[in-house]
Amino acid sequence: MPGKIRKRSPLKPPERPYIALGLEGSANKLGAGIIKHSPDGSTIVLSNVRHTYITPPGEGFLPRDTAQHHREWAMTVINDAFKKAELSIHDIDCICFTQGPGMGAPLTSVALVARTLSLLFSKPLVGVNHCVGHIEMGRQVTGAQNPVVLYVSGGNTQVIAYSQQCYRIFGETLDIAVGNCLDRFARVINLSNDPSPGYNIEQMAKTGKRLLPLPYATKGMDLSLSGILTSTEAYTLDKRFRFNENSREGDNDNIITPADLCFSLQETIFAMLVEITERAMAHIGSKEVLIVGGVGCNERLQEMMGIMAEERGGKVFATDDRFCIDNGIMIAQAGLLSYRMGFQTPLAKSRCTQRFRTDQVHVAWRA
Amino acid sequence: MEVYRYQQFPSHLATVHVALFDNVTNADELHARLIRASTLTGSEGETEREAVNFAFIDARLIASIQHLKAAVYHAILAATQGGLKTKSVHSEIIWTLNPTNNITEALRRYGVSASSSSLFVVRVDRPLDGLVERLSTIVHGTLVPLDSLKDMTNWDTIKKHYKLNDEPAIRNAAGDKDVERRKIDRIVTSSVATKIVMG
Amino acid sequence: MSATQILLSQATQISQGAEAAIYKGRLSDSGLDEEDVLLKYRFHKGYRHPTLDASLTKARVAGEARALLKCLRADVNVPAVRMVDALEGVLGIEWINGKSVRFLLGGGAEDEEVTEEMADGENLPEDATEELEDQLLEYNVSSDEVMTMIGTEIAKMHLADVIHGDLTTSNMMLRLPSPSPSNKTELVLIDFGLAYISTLVEDKAVDLYVLERAFSSTHPASEPLFAGVLKAYEIRMGKEWKAISRRLDDVRLRGRKRSMVG
Repeated sequence: MPGKIRKRSPLKPPERPYIALGLEGSANKLGAGIIKHSPDGSTIVLSNVRHTYITPPGEGFLPRDTAQHHREWAMTVINDAFKKAELSIHDIDCICFTQGPGMGAPLTSVALVARTLSLLFSKPLVGVNHCVGHIEMGRQVTGAQNPVVLYVSGGNTQVIAYSQQCYRIFGETLDIAVGNCLDRFARVINLSNDPSPGYNIEQMAKTGKRLLPLPYATKGMDLSLSGILTSTEAYTLDKRFRFNENSREGDNDNIITPADLCFSLQETIFAMLVEITERAMAHIGSKEVLIVGGVGCNERLQEMMGIMAEERGGKVFATDDRFCIDNGIMIAQAGLLSYRMGFQTPLAKSRCTQRFRTDQVHVAWRA
Repeated sequence: MEVYRYQQFPSHLATVHVALFDNVTNADELHARLIRASTLTGSEGETEREAVNFAFIDARLIASIQHLKAAVYHAILAATQGGLKTKSVHSEIIWTLNPTNNITEALRRYGVSASSSSLFVVRVDRPLDGLVERLSTIVHGTLVPLDSLKDMTNWDTIKKHYKLNDEPAIRNAAGDKDVERRKIDRIVTSSVATKIVMG
Repeated sequence: MSATQILLSQATQISQGAEAAIYKGRLSDSGLDEEDVLLKYRFHKGYRHPTLDASLTKARVAGEARALLKCLRADVNVPAVRMVDALEGVLGIEWINGKSVRFLLGGGAEDEEVTEEMADGENLPEDATEELEDQLLEYNVSSDEVMTMIGTEIAKMHLADVIHGDLTTSNMMLRLPSPSPSNKTELVLIDFGLAYISTLVEDKAVDLYVLERAFSSTHPASEPLFAGVLKAYEIRMGKEWKAISRRLDDVRLRGRKRSMVG
């Protein structure tokens, strides 16, 4: 592009290797990851361990039980991470943990572990914004330079772009998150939560044929999802709905199957997501898009985003389930970046917060 | 008479002939003839229907040529898309001019009636020769240039049909006739152009 | 090929945005006084299911046409509608002869690619205001008058409960005095692609806030200019201003977005 001036990154190459432990537990995944930044500029994932709290079909995860799960598994997961990295806790520079946003009780249980380790081994703490963790890991894994970021998970739905040391939110959900919408619908049709409700919806949608009309609610770069969930649920009470028929006999247009509903739900919601992402790309003149967050694993979403990006002469970047789904390594990555810029979280300020907006973080490590 | 060509439409709908008559003396007769033509059967009916196969539009309710052309355009578009709400492209023009969906009301207001003294005659077809001569046997009046319309328009009736009297666009004109007419024209032309999506 | 597709193929493409391509064309190819029309074509989106794509396109073309008509009745300066083909996703509107306010205020052309790195705005030329007045000379208006026109048009639109949804200086044009029907320079609001109807104070306040943000990002040191917009808006809105003003203050504090939960 003519006339484009690139500012030099304020992040200096490390004079020695830096290693960070990242702890994540803002929802039902407990993760511990260890990352290394080397003087040659390379970033190496030394380990990335995760344990997911899975509830029976038809049930969501409650904060108290999830926190209980995290407490029970914390030591196992962290020890496992060190074992895989072939390191001891003495080798690390800092302990990074998710400070928000997320569910209060699980966040607090993991932060408590982080603080304890910090005091026991005299390692500085670095509080990390969960969304920024996703973005930084996505950039690292895919090599995307300055993408528009679509962050889609169980708790968040945002279209984000970087501007002047801040990840600005261009668009977001006005009510519930995409993942939440899909998870709740999975519960309605009694899909398994193993490995995740969203994965099972995606598989089921592949056999769906019939696109049922659902509300389509984008408003500029924002979107609303609760009405779609309600409408999709309403179809399960329709007299044409057949709970147990997953493949129709011939071309029977008069029945609605759970697969049809999964298909319609995905097609409608993802079209909205791609649309607002494209609008943001047009707005800032970017040709790259990065999808992060648990719903970002969905291959249909990636495919639709790919078609859009191609039509614009751009490119879509996505990561697989190791990095898309909540994990410890992304917290380590974002935490280590800010640690290298001299940032630490004093113990007195290490409280978690359920509300922690992406644009509240000072992104000191980018130009 | 003016002829407008629309290359984008199929050839039998691509040429629009528009004539404007003033001092029309046989409006009541013409009105009766149109009704009779629609009820006649057999070959006699077909001949008669072809003889009066035009849109006869009361010029008093037309704000501008632009206004009329918007209605013609949408009638042809509907015809090419199989979306006619009425029997023919000519009656569709009249239906499109009226703000409501009521076909009878549209014909009564915008079609020829006993009180019509100035008439637009529109024919959508392939290019036709000798149309002026043919028309002079049907309509008894003076063929005038289209811009004579400016002295025929009855703005108050248009305002009434489109319920414009309380609209800010009219109130803000504060009695300035030129400003007001320009605004009425913009509104009614746009209304005609958007009618198919207003349902 | 459908009639409207042929129409597009004979027109000249002017620009292409995320959702639509803009063409300049003529509905009829005869008649000396045949005017230019702007054709906005909402093209097919390959990523969307075809059924969904068709129904969305139709609804949006219709929605934009309706918003324009509502504005015309409310005496807001907007382009008149010339043709609608909802099936093909095309809206034809009056061609406005003039330039965008963004361009005239020195914010660059719309398609000009400005990267974040360049947009720091520190080295704004000192004679920026002078240049600005030069650009406006042809239109015979001062920048203050332009601000007043902007505030007045938005107020008329909001009084009719139309929310534009994407108010930026790119979506306002100054129409040259000579072809304008009133022989005065007019400010015309364009691109109602995201418009909707709402009576809520919140929606009107957010509409203004979006414009305020657009002003500060495209026109550095624009606070006094925008104050002129709000002043004219206030006068026109009359007693409705108070509630909107209060809500605008709230919106500024929280940013456009609400605080996020989990």
